[in-house]
Amino acid sequence: MSTSPITQGIDDRAIGAVHPVVRWVRTRAAWILLFDIALFALFTALSRNHVFFSAANAESLLISVSQILLLALGLAMMLGAGIFDLSLGANLVLSSVVGALVMKSFQAVPGDASSYHDIPLAAVAGFLACVGTGIVFGLVNGLLIAVGKINSLIATLGTLGIGTGIALLIAGGSDVSGMPTALQLAIGLNTIGIVPIPAIAAIAVAILLWVVVRFTRYGMRTQAIGSSRVAAERSGIRVRAHLLSLTVLGGGLAGMAGFIDLARFGSTALQGHANDALGAVTAAVIGGTLLEGGRISIWGAVWGAALAIILRTGLVILGVSAFWQLIVVGAVLLIAVLLDRVAAVRRTRSARAD
Amino acid sequence: MENPAPVIAARHIAKRFGHVQALRDASVSVAAGEVVALVGDNGAGKSTLVKTLLGINKPDDGEVIIGGEPVQLSGIREAQALGVDAVHQDLALAPDLSVVDNMFLGHEQIRGLGFLRRREMSERAAESLRELGITLPSLAVPVSDLSGGQRQAVAVAKAVMWSSTAVLMDEPTAALGARQSDIIAELMRTVASKGLGVLVISHDLPRILKAADKITVLWRGETVLESPAAALTVPDLVATMVGYREEAS
Repeated sequence: MSTSPITQGIDDRAIGAVHPVVRWVRTRAAWILLFDIALFALFTALSRNHVFFSAANAESLLISVSQILLLALGLAMMLGAGIFDLSLGANLVLSSVVGALVMKSFQAVPGDASSYHDIPLAAVAGFLACVGTGIVFGLVNGLLIAVGKINSLIATLGTLGIGTGIALLIAGGSDVSGMPTALQLAIGLNTIGIVPIPAIAAIAVAILLWVVVRFTRYGMRTQAIGSSRVAAERSGIRVRAHLLSLTVLGGGLAGMAGFIDLARFGSTALQGHANDALGAVTAAVIGGTLLEGGRISIWGAVWGAALAIILRTGLVILGVSAFWQLIVVGAVLLIAVLLDRVAAVRRTRSARAD
Repeated sequence: MENPAPVIAARHIAKRFGHVQALRDASVSVAAGEVVALVGDNGAGKSTLVKTLLGINKPDDGEVIIGGEPVQLSGIREAQALGVDAVHQDLALAPDLSVVDNMFLGHEQIRGLGFLRRREMSERAAESLRELGITLPSLAVPVSDLSGGQRQAVAVAKAVMWSSTAVLMDEPTAALGARQSDIIAELMRTVASKGLGVLVISHDLPRILKAADKITVLWRGETVLESPAAALTVPDLVATMVGYREEAS
């Protein structure tokens, strides 16, 4: 039986083709990049002798960005599927403590940082311990969320406390130091050009994840789950296994960020990551990753992380109190979320207008 | 009543949820190329029966037959493997994904390392939509940018693309206006004309009487009437649905 074309009935809303450049300029990532550049110019103009625009500052910005970026990338992937993770900062700290203790076990004379007999081996073991701990942390989160069906906010609030507590316990309450100096020279403080090695690693992860999100089945399914979990399940996707893989990924990246602490400072930084979750959420959300899930913007997270760090560093250089930095970063996060709200309301209205 | 061999059927299904006996003795059968409407009052067990055919519910009693064979389904993936797919009441599309991605969700075409073959996917999706006479402004836009009728058409096209046996539709026109409902009803005929069995739950009696070949009426979890649509009128149907038993033709 033949039918008349359904064209007239269904095609009742025309959507014109848009030039790729125009489409890019309309993305949140583009706006945030432009905002980054504007802020950079502003701080350069305001800083004494324009020190903000210097190789040394660029280097310090980049190394600071790398940790927040790793957390933000993991978070963006998880948010894409509708998982919120508050525990990333705690994961970072716990991973760095475990990694530090593993590395110290390679000291010939316990407590003597100059007595490592095989530094490369110690470094590799430390790295694997950091990433491994991060993965286990992520796996626990994933089991609570995907199998235990606990709301991700509550699950990771719980593991935030537990992880921080375990880190403090096994570290004995104070930072674990005495990492090999060669590790700092080779990785943490080493650069290629003006780009620190940790930043190169973080950018490599960003590029990899961008490819995953944009071109692979994994990225598509991640966003499908966040967009409509029911649709994903009805399409035959193993949603629980997928969610587990995401929390493991996010955990592994947090572990990697923990290793950067060791490579950079030669010790853990127990007190240094209280606001990392705020920074990571800010970076991911400002960048256009939807809190409700369904849309991941990897470049948005990159420029969002840069924004958080430029703000923080710029305010330091201008001599603004550290308390103000927290306020400004928090306010920027709220503004970004409010912008999302406005856009969502507009979308709903235009959908209702059908 | 004489029936050609059904491509999908449920025989004497019983299903209890806690204290609720959702299905007592429910049967339905759909032949290739046939549109069968499943009607009944709220709570008659229509959705439960369809979910049983999809393997979402396990029946306490009775059997599901797909392609002439009795089957034990333990999930929707198994039904899909047997060529049965569904269009759900609550529209199982991911609104943030494009039309193409939605149509291939769960059936993605990939090369090594999980990379999507987006070009092939687009071409196949466009072809499937064209075969059903569905025209959309773009297949790259998120589904949330489409109108309700367009979305439902995409959901139907997705189900058809992955079905080789039957497509089950749970109130596909519930959220649509009159014109778009007509279009979806027409789409059911097109799908059946491709040799698939179509089972549709509907409350829209006048429209479904015109679109369906056969009507199956459920009443309190029991199949009380199976009849060619042409032999029925809306008042007959309403009477049967609310519990006045009639001799089946």
